[in-house]
Amino acid sequence: MPGPGNLEEPMRFKRHLRRSEPYIFAALLLLCLAVELRSGQFFTGNNIVDLARSLTVPAIFCIGEMLVLISGGVDVSFPAIASLSMYVVSRYLDDYQGTVALNLFVGAVLGLVMGGLNGFLVARFRFPAMLVTLGTTSVFSGILFGALGAREYPVPPPMYDLGKAKLFSAHNPVSGLSSDMPVSILLLALLLAATWFLLNRTLTGRGIYAIGGDPVAAERAGFNLFRIQMFIYCFSGALAGLTGVIRGSMMLNCHPTNLNGMEMTCIAACVLGGASITGGKGTLFGVMLGITLMTVMANSLILIGVPTYWQRVFTGAIILVGTGVSAYQALRGRRKPGAVARRAGHA
Amino acid sequence: MRKLLASFVATVLLAAAVALSAGAGEKKYKIAVVPKDSTNAWFVHMEKGVRKYANDTGHNAFQKGPAKTDAAQQVQVIQDLISQDIDALCVVPVDPAALEPVLAEAMEKKIVVICHEGSPVENCDYDLEAFNNADYGAFIMDNLAKAMGEKGVYTTMVAHVTNASHNEWADGAVARAKAAYPNLTLLAAEPRVESEDNSERSYEKAKELFKKYPELKGIVGTSSKDAPGVARAIEELGLKDKVFVSGTGMPNESRRFVKDGTLSYITLWDSSLAGAAMCALAVDVLNGVKIVDGLDLGVEGYHKLMFAPGSDKVLLGSGWIVIDAKTIDDYDF
Repeated sequence: MPGPGNLEEPMRFKRHLRRSEPYIFAALLLLCLAVELRSGQFFTGNNIVDLARSLTVPAIFCIGEMLVLISGGVDVSFPAIASLSMYVVSRYLDDYQGTVALNLFVGAVLGLVMGGLNGFLVARFRFPAMLVTLGTTSVFSGILFGALGAREYPVPPPMYDLGKAKLFSAHNPVSGLSSDMPVSILLLALLLAATWFLLNRTLTGRGIYAIGGDPVAAERAGFNLFRIQMFIYCFSGALAGLTGVIRGSMMLNCHPTNLNGMEMTCIAACVLGGASITGGKGTLFGVMLGITLMTVMANSLILIGVPTYWQRVFTGAIILVGTGVSAYQALRGRRKPGAVARRAGHA
Repeated sequence: MRKLLASFVATVLLAAAVALSAGAGEKKYKIAVVPKDSTNAWFVHMEKGVRKYANDTGHNAFQKGPAKTDAAQQVQVIQDLISQDIDALCVVPVDPAALEPVLAEAMEKKIVVICHEGSPVENCDYDLEAFNNADYGAFIMDNLAKAMGEKGVYTTMVAHVTNASHNEWADGAVARAKAAYPNLTLLAAEPRVESEDNSERSYEKAKELFKKYPELKGIVGTSSKDAPGVARAIEELGLKDKVFVSGTGMPNESRRFVKDGTLSYITLWDSSLAGAAMCALAVDVLNGVKIVDGLDLGVEGYHKLMFAPGSDKVLLGSGWIVIDAKTIDDYDF
């Protein structure tokens, strides 16, 4: 990275303060410390493993959602895509005994096709992404519960084995508890690396930010709007399909209604992490901070000692404050002259 | 040969005549059963009972429910059904309070309304419970106490703190522990935990509880997702034979855990019988049968209904069962 002159150093520092990552990081740290103070259980190996496990599925969803948000759209259909893939793979490959790679591959292909439908409707007809994905959610869950008559179903043997497989066990000698790190976390790491490369090192990545910032300018600059949007929705659909299969194997059972409502968690996490709901802005690091905060919160309220009756109030308040800070930062950024140039610089 | 054929034809004719006369003498009704969630194995099993009832009696009884446990979607389903000219509506409410307006609308249109697991509902003719909720809670507690050796700290898990029957069972379990097991203590800091009717959440919440409260030795599960989820946590944390869980559970989902002992006992009633019993009660009301203590619906576990103490709406059967490692293979749903 070319080093800026000394005169620009304070500017750079201020610029970082205007991003939401530092705030969300501080909030996460405070929450972790609060849990540690109240329970003495946060910074234990088994607790960290538990959190990593709970994080895996929503984090992969968030990668897809983030791409869609950056491009100026929003996707609420990924839980439906994931559920349909999970069910079809569990139900119709139930005798299959080979490697789990096939289950994952079929899930991803199913997701890709469904995401492709989203992408076609958005890119070809320029329909608002929110309406398109709400509509396809109805279509996909209609197929799942109507045509296929989905219900709980045992997962095929390779998926069961994947769910049982562990990288290592974190054993806590004090409490005597141990937790298993699921192998699926490797997939999350792989996808994070691939998406980082895509966004920061390829022309397509540039294009995703560009069409979200200003689609007209992006097209004039030579980016193919249709192709980039198709790519984003296909990618996000494939991720959702893959995640459905992972979720089924982690639960050792296919529950087709189990992912309902997760779209809200993931969109909130992306916005918390600084992805702009109007497009053009968002980083993997920020979004991963956002979903980590949401996951820690959902899995630490008992550890902190928030009574059951107050847990939803507590969760809602954190989301309000967090998204409020992000929105305020964006507002301040927009008021300053030259903000557009700076926003582009963040991409 | 001809004689045989003749007697066969005669028998068929006779049977047809009997069937026709029976059909003419008794009005056939259209009865809709609305479960909480049509994909849940529990309610899939209920539908079998409703179908069997329809086949056995000739009434047009059918089941139609929301695709997920969602109060608003359930209201929608009921609204659609009301406009389809049904004689009776049998509902397993997601959230009793949210259903009152739409059930009132059904009753205005002279539709007979029967609830199940919805004792606080006001706008219904009768609420049919498989059993007294407090007694069922006590029954879960007895089983958990047996597993825990009648001593230690325990807590209760429900789908949501707004869910009527789950909380009545949990209250019944707590009352039973207070009355009968002096060495069992309720975890004061977290006496009731929510699992959101999701076995991934009950698994996560159980892990959190065992981390925070090492003294915790038992969990009372109420939702059918609680006990299997908690059992998965017990297995992973390495707490088998140190902590125990007992509660409502579906045999197929719990089979593995019941067999290896991480899940001590599952308790339940047969949802297919409950579905048939709701329809039978609706038909009795439609036919003007007087509903009194001792009513026999002709369905197993519902041969001698009793009104709940102090109520002229809530009818109780006596249909609970407990399943352990020895008996689980007798059930296939």
